[in-house]
Amino acid sequence: MRKALVALALTVVAVLGTATPALAHNVLISSDPANGASIAAGPQKVSLTFDQYVQGADVNQIAVTGPGGGQWAEGPISVVNNVISAPLRPLGPAGKYTIGYRVLSADGHPVTGELTFTLTAAGTGTPATVDAAKSPGSASQATSQSSSTGVPIWVWIAGAVVLLAIGLTVALRSGGKSVEEKN
Amino acid sequence: MTQAETTTKPRYATLLCVVTAGLLGALIGVALTATTPVPGVVQPGAVVSAGIPIVRVLLDLAAVTTIGLALLSVLVGYDRPKLTEPIMRLARPAGVAAALIWATTAVVTLILQTAEYKPGSSTLSASDIGGYIANVGAGKALVIVAVLALAHAGIGALALRYGEKIPAEVRVGLGLFALLPLPVTGHASNWNYHDYTMISMELHVMSAVAWTGGLGAMAVLLVSNRTLLAHAMPRFSKLATLCLIISAATGLFNGLIEISLNPTIGFWAAIFTTPYGQLLILKLACTGVIALLGANLRWRLMPQIVRHNRTALASWATLELTVMGLAFGFAVVLTRAPVVAS
Repeated sequence: MRKALVALALTVVAVLGTATPALAHNVLISSDPANGASIAAGPQKVSLTFDQYVQGADVNQIAVTGPGGGQWAEGPISVVNNVISAPLRPLGPAGKYTIGYRVLSADGHPVTGELTFTLTAAGTGTPATVDAAKSPGSASQATSQSSSTGVPIWVWIAGAVVLLAIGLTVALRSGGKSVEEKN
Repeated sequence: MTQAETTTKPRYATLLCVVTAGLLGALIGVALTATTPVPGVVQPGAVVSAGIPIVRVLLDLAAVTTIGLALLSVLVGYDRPKLTEPIMRLARPAGVAAALIWATTAVVTLILQTAEYKPGSSTLSASDIGGYIANVGAGKALVIVAVLALAHAGIGALALRYGEKIPAEVRVGLGLFALLPLPVTGHASNWNYHDYTMISMELHVMSAVAWTGGLGAMAVLLVSNRTLLAHAMPRFSKLATLCLIISAATGLFNGLIEISLNPTIGFWAAIFTTPYGQLLILKLACTGVIALLGANLRWRLMPQIVRHNRTALASWATLELTVMGLAFGFAVVLTRAPVVAS
């Protein structure tokens, strides 16, 4: 028991010695256009401000969905500290637009959410053909690359399980025998 | 005094109850945190987003089993090998198996989290996984956990061969150490207070795992052996009291900090309307029930156990462990749930 407590104490010391800054889930603080705002003309870009920095990985997404389901955000996403922004095409029909986002939070978890704004006067723009704005690294490119060389997820998992089965068999066979021999 | 039973028949039903409760807890958490799809944004498939907490709770329970079985050696002591060896001959291979499952679930979690990181693709390449490890702390942590768990399995295999010449304290220490990397990379703590919340979260995880693991190992392997139980239970009880106090205090501290530091939502609204707050309440309720069951075990059953009398320990311990499993299930969802209304 005392030895166990010593082990516990050593581990606690190890924790204190190795504790590194940990990060939390990002929380959306503000946006431009603001959530629920009514605007007469579309801005050049949408930007979302979080309480902590956004990781500039190539998996960040911002999508602006118009009244008819068209996509209006287009082009590379830029990340500057806490602010992530995507260029916006000239907006078209008046109505409700939804900004959807999925960003890589400071703690490495993906954070998703949506907010809306209303366009009061119709513009002349047309929706984009791409689904969503992409990061500089272009997620679409990366995805197509990986799908050409990758294998389905279940194969990876099945591989891990097979390795587990082999490991279990080897470890318990070889170890179990020697104990039986000794006793 | 009645003749002491020395049968070594393990109660696998207890293990089944804990795993089922853990999976149930994770699924309740998934249901609570389910969000409607965001228009225009590519999101991971349901299999991936439900698979992560399910595999993660299996990882946690494998860790609990590994550490609990290592603790069992310490709890029963080394001075009566004739009594303890039959139990240990079951516990050691089970410990190796649990450590291997621990390592494998870490790898599977890594695969699933990579798939979540890059949604919209049904295939993964080695470079995707490498990229996730390079970019995201959780990837590195999972690799470290897998390596440490494999090392634990290696030491466990040595213990299979050489018995208690391999000190069980090494396995307990390494097991607890392998718990550390994952909380460091979770959103366990907030920016402003990260030093304190981090340490508090690590203590929370270690005490919860040592507590559940110790009780679990005794309930499965020791429950029919009244002689050893009379020896081990009072020793475990001290550890359990310490763990209860630590895990309740640190859990409350971390949960409340995480909620109160969200700048966009009020404290009470966050507790009652967000999935994070609801999961926190559920875990608090679990802790209350576990404390009551623990008190029952400590003050009603233990005096009988010490006198080598037959007790209903198996059922009470199974009930307590089931609630603990439920709490682990809630925990895996809680560590990834944002403090926002769904």
